[in-house]
Amino acid sequence: MSDEIMTALAQYVAAEILRQPSRLIGADEPLLTSGLIDSFHLVDLGMFVEDKFGVRIDDAELNASTFDTLSQLAALIRARQ
Amino acid sequence: MTLTIILVSMAAALLAGWLARGRSRPLVLLAFSALAVYAFQPALPVRHLDFWLPTVTLALVAASWALTAAPEQRSWRANWPAAAILAGIVLLLGLTRFLPFDAFLTASRPPQTFQIVLAILLAAALTGAALWLSRRSAKWLAAAIGLILALFLVLKVPELSYWTSFFFHKLNQQYSGAASAADLRWLGFSYIAFRLIHTIRDRQSGRLPAVTLAEYAAYVIFFPSLTAGPIDRIERFLGDLRRPFALSAEDLTEAGKRLLVGLFKKFVIADALALVALNGTNALQVRTAGWTWILLYAYAFQIFFDFSGYTDIAIGLGRLLGFKLPENFNAPYRKPNLTQFWNNWHMTLTQWFRAYFFNPVTRLLRSTKKPLPIPVVIFVTQIITMALIGLWHGVTANFVLWGLWHGLGLFVHNRWSERTKARFAVLPPRWQTVLNAGGALLTFHFVALGWVFFAMPDLSTSWHVFLKLFGFA
Repeated sequence: MSDEIMTALAQYVAAEILRQPSRLIGADEPLLTSGLIDSFHLVDLGMFVEDKFGVRIDDAELNASTFDTLSQLAALIRARQ
Repeated sequence: MTLTIILVSMAAALLAGWLARGRSRPLVLLAFSALAVYAFQPALPVRHLDFWLPTVTLALVAASWALTAAPEQRSWRANWPAAAILAGIVLLLGLTRFLPFDAFLTASRPPQTFQIVLAILLAAALTGAALWLSRRSAKWLAAAIGLILALFLVLKVPELSYWTSFFFHKLNQQYSGAASAADLRWLGFSYIAFRLIHTIRDRQSGRLPAVTLAEYAAYVIFFPSLTAGPIDRIERFLGDLRRPFALSAEDLTEAGKRLLVGLFKKFVIADALALVALNGTNALQVRTAGWTWILLYAYAFQIFFDFSGYTDIAIGLGRLLGFKLPENFNAPYRKPNLTQFWNNWHMTLTQWFRAYFFNPVTRLLRSTKKPLPIPVVIFVTQIITMALIGLWHGVTANFVLWGLWHGLGLFVHNRWSERTKARFAVLPPRWQTVLNAGGALLTFHFVALGWVFFAMPDLSTSWHVFLKLFGFA
């Protein structure tokens, strides 16, 4: 299950946000603090998580202190499912 | 803040850190912070206003807690010590009017005692009413945000500030011709307002943790971050507040480092740069483009060292009390684009605006039945968010233009990035380094040019500076 979450997140970020579908994103690669994902795409990512996994990430939680990597985001999703 | 106030704050933080142990920790921090609300407030020309504004701060904090408190935290038994400390401090400070020497914890001699007692009773009634209203309807939370924003407008719109001061002069039977928009300097209100709105909005969304009055008030008026931030989040602050604390050698070393760095940045670098930094007077005196650029560079670095110096001092003071306050700056002038600049400049302010304005508005615009084109959503949200950040500094045309300058810059960078990021990502590392260095240089100059609006008093002087910078004047 966790692999499925990670794969879906990695594919979404690579294809829809970074526009590089073949790019591999490391589980612990910083996404927000590195500037890879900007504030606008962060909202999109939050909406994707809500649609795909049925997990709500509050607007106030969309920041690097809540999650900065795919593995942290996947852990957050698992914790709320 | 003066060096004396900072040194006194350091001594107070050491004392409070030593006293604030165990269950009394929130109460001790509340007492020191409540005293600081009065001690930091500068003297004002309207009689007794420098006493009443801090008093209103404490009343607002108590009423806001009453509106947002979880039912299990509202008991009189759990909260009477905090209420007694708040009321006792106001009363004791009021009684210092009878001391034979000048006031030392208030900016001027406090008003008459019966007025202070009346104010305490009014604040208690307001808090009681807020407690009662909060059980009736959640609409009062929205009304509280409206009230805070209205106070904000009174302080930030020069015309409203002037007429309010005029009214207070008349009320006090002072010469109203001396009223000025600069009379209403309510120290720390901007940051207090952000914290209050954060707690009220989180209460509306059901995310606010259950807190006592002492914990809530200690968070909102925490004295290390009272005047210049950072804007902490209450759930993070509570983690530190509820943790057992005893000052360790590591805390002391870390705090000492941050305090020394902060004092050096503020009182050596920033104050030295202030001698040549761009201002309304020297902007008209310099004749060449070269000198105008030197003034602008000096201003860009002065504002950074001044503000980040204050943040270092706040973080150092917080560490003496066992708090790891959030960072506000992370080498912003070295970032390769404007988006990353804003992720690393006044970070807690931008995070606040993202959480309570940008993210909900973007989500709303992206979720409509007929979604707007993405570039339109980005343009609207970036422009309005940055205009609001500009307005937070003051409701003047220059601050709005400064915000629009950055909003437009963020939009252009976003569109450019969308078109080029896939192509740039496959460039060799050496080219990436060159691009990043070029981007940092360009971003710094874009930000520096934006500071013209920030530093100048009006549009015509700003335009004059732009003409000079590019050799047209």
